[in-house]
Amino acid sequence: MNKTRKNIGVIDRISQFIFLTCALVSVIAVISITAFIFFKGIQPFIKGNIEGNYSIVKFLTGDMWKPSQNIYGIGYMIVASVFATIGALFIGVPISLFTAVYISKFARKKIAIMLRTVIELLASIPSVLFGVFGYTVIVSLVRIISPFQVGDSLLSVIIVLSIMILPTIVSISESAISAVPKSYIEASYGLGATKTETVFKIILPAAKSGIFSAIVLGIGRAIGETMAVILVAGNPEQNFPTSLFDKVRLITNNIVLEQGYASGLHEEMLFATGAVLFIFIIIVNLILLKIRKGSDNYAK
Amino acid sequence: MQNKRKKKEMIIQLIIKISTLIAVLLLSSITIFIVKNGYKKINLDYFTSDYNDKTVYVDVENNHTSEHYDISETDDIFIDEWGVGISKLNDDSNYYISYLAKNSIFENGVDLKNEPFKIKVGDIIKKIDKVNIADLKNKDIENMFRDNNLELKITRNGGGIYPMLISTLMLIFLSLIITIPIGVGAAIYLVEYAKIGKLVNIIRFATESLAGIPSIVYGLFGMILFVKFLGIGQSILSGSLTLSIILLPTVIRTTEETLITVPSSYKEASYALGANRLQTLVKIIIPNTISGIIIAVILSIGRIVGESAALLFTVGTFAKIPQNIFDSGTSLTVRAFMEVKEYAAVESACAMGIVLLAIVFILNISTKIIVKKLKL
Repeated sequence: MNKTRKNIGVIDRISQFIFLTCALVSVIAVISITAFIFFKGIQPFIKGNIEGNYSIVKFLTGDMWKPSQNIYGIGYMIVASVFATIGALFIGVPISLFTAVYISKFARKKIAIMLRTVIELLASIPSVLFGVFGYTVIVSLVRIISPFQVGDSLLSVIIVLSIMILPTIVSISESAISAVPKSYIEASYGLGATKTETVFKIILPAAKSGIFSAIVLGIGRAIGETMAVILVAGNPEQNFPTSLFDKVRLITNNIVLEQGYASGLHEEMLFATGAVLFIFIIIVNLILLKIRKGSDNYAK
Repeated sequence: MQNKRKKKEMIIQLIIKISTLIAVLLLSSITIFIVKNGYKKINLDYFTSDYNDKTVYVDVENNHTSEHYDISETDDIFIDEWGVGISKLNDDSNYYISYLAKNSIFENGVDLKNEPFKIKVGDIIKKIDKVNIADLKNKDIENMFRDNNLELKITRNGGGIYPMLISTLMLIFLSLIITIPIGVGAAIYLVEYAKIGKLVNIIRFATESLAGIPSIVYGLFGMILFVKFLGIGQSILSGSLTLSIILLPTVIRTTEETLITVPSSYKEASYALGANRLQTLVKIIIPNTISGIIIAVILSIGRIVGESAALLFTVGTFAKIPQNIFDSGTSLTVRAFMEVKEYAAVESACAMGIVLLAIVFILNISTKIIVKKLKL
């Protein structure tokens, strides 16, 4: 009797250890992803390295990327990525928020269910297909209005990204809006406010933190998006974007375009590009964490 | 005053409605665009044929075992003793196999490496015994079949997605085999074993961070660790290992959610009967989470099918059938990307897009149905 008890104790402990190991896999993964990307990416900037001695300032502010001449500047890509993301938010956020408001507060029940399903289905479209759509439809539309007769441009990137972030922002902010207590809304109506006044003065402020996390998630998606924008960006080797119709190369595009054949310093520079992207993502995630923590405290 | 307020109300409501319309139109126009541009290529052959054209030299031998074949009347040329019908293609001068009788000798061909090669209906015959037959008359071709031994130059048209389907299936199976046990184990630890504390916070933070990393970063990581550092090379295995990390947060979260819903009375009843923790886990808790695991599997498949940036450098871009998990291949998404990027072949990409859309939509709807059924 005692012996079996003991055995069971041992088995229990072993199984617990196995489950713990499983749980630690994500921790190990995060650490090793960070370590590998940053370790590889920092090599070119360490003095005394065989391949390195590149100035990190030149790398981060440079306006030219020509691996054949050993010129590696990604300043113009960082600017393009930031512009593209801001532009996508500019178009995507109002449309998404209004759509979310419509679904949760204006639409009849059946239509709301239908719209939710449509948005959910569309959220699952692989990003490559957005790229194919952008490459064919949006680029040729932009070409018509562009002064340079070229469709590959910052504007095309912005449009493709704003479509891509729609489903994310709509579905998350819609659930935040639906979670606003009914009593708030009734109180507002009771004071004689109209429907839209209630929406803008009561519902949206009350759903603030949910909406913010939706937007931040949208930013994360926009900054990290690669395969769709690469097909509409034009990917030039130099120059800061000065207008909406300029061709742009985003940080993510740079990696995909050249990782296939890069080696040595060139490859390390691509990892450095990846590290810059990673820093952006970390910032986005920290903001997200802060918003969520803030809303938790608020709820308490 | 009152009038102004009413007007404002109406305008804002209109803006809200128009925005919704724009959102829905934009998103559905993508689906319509993909279907409209790609549907012409979709047929049964599209799923079963190779991506690249293939040319093979095949030896066929007739032993005159006096087998009688069913006769076909519709072909340009029909050769009794071989049980084969040959016709001319409409728009060019090539001859193709338009009919094969049951057990035709053509099904027992042998290629140059002496491996069996089964000729199929639709294969194009370029040469017979080193003679170009495109310019010959039907009668001359018939005469050539008097020989008992023929060497045929056969071209099989590609354009299909069979290699990508196989690669994708291999990726799905391998990634799930790796990620499901780990993800479910992690969820069990978090819900059943862990005490609230620093370690749990770290694990949760790590899992959430994984979910936020863009797939291109995973692609870089997979390439440097699995492809280069561990020396696995561009292969299904490298791709699956990369994918399994991407999938972990989804699997953990989904399983956790169902684990939490298992009523504590079940566990207490099990403990009261003298079962220990592991027995309770295996006999009571896990059977109650099967639905969650199924949903995790479906969500994972959806993610794998739609993934591209992480696979580009870990699995490869060349459309070939991987012989084993250490061989390279390519997924539908990556191939669709390459079609547009390298060849501006929008139609081809859209045809692959239709297949992708069909898969993700079906998966999405089936998740919904399962979730709904379970709640009832």
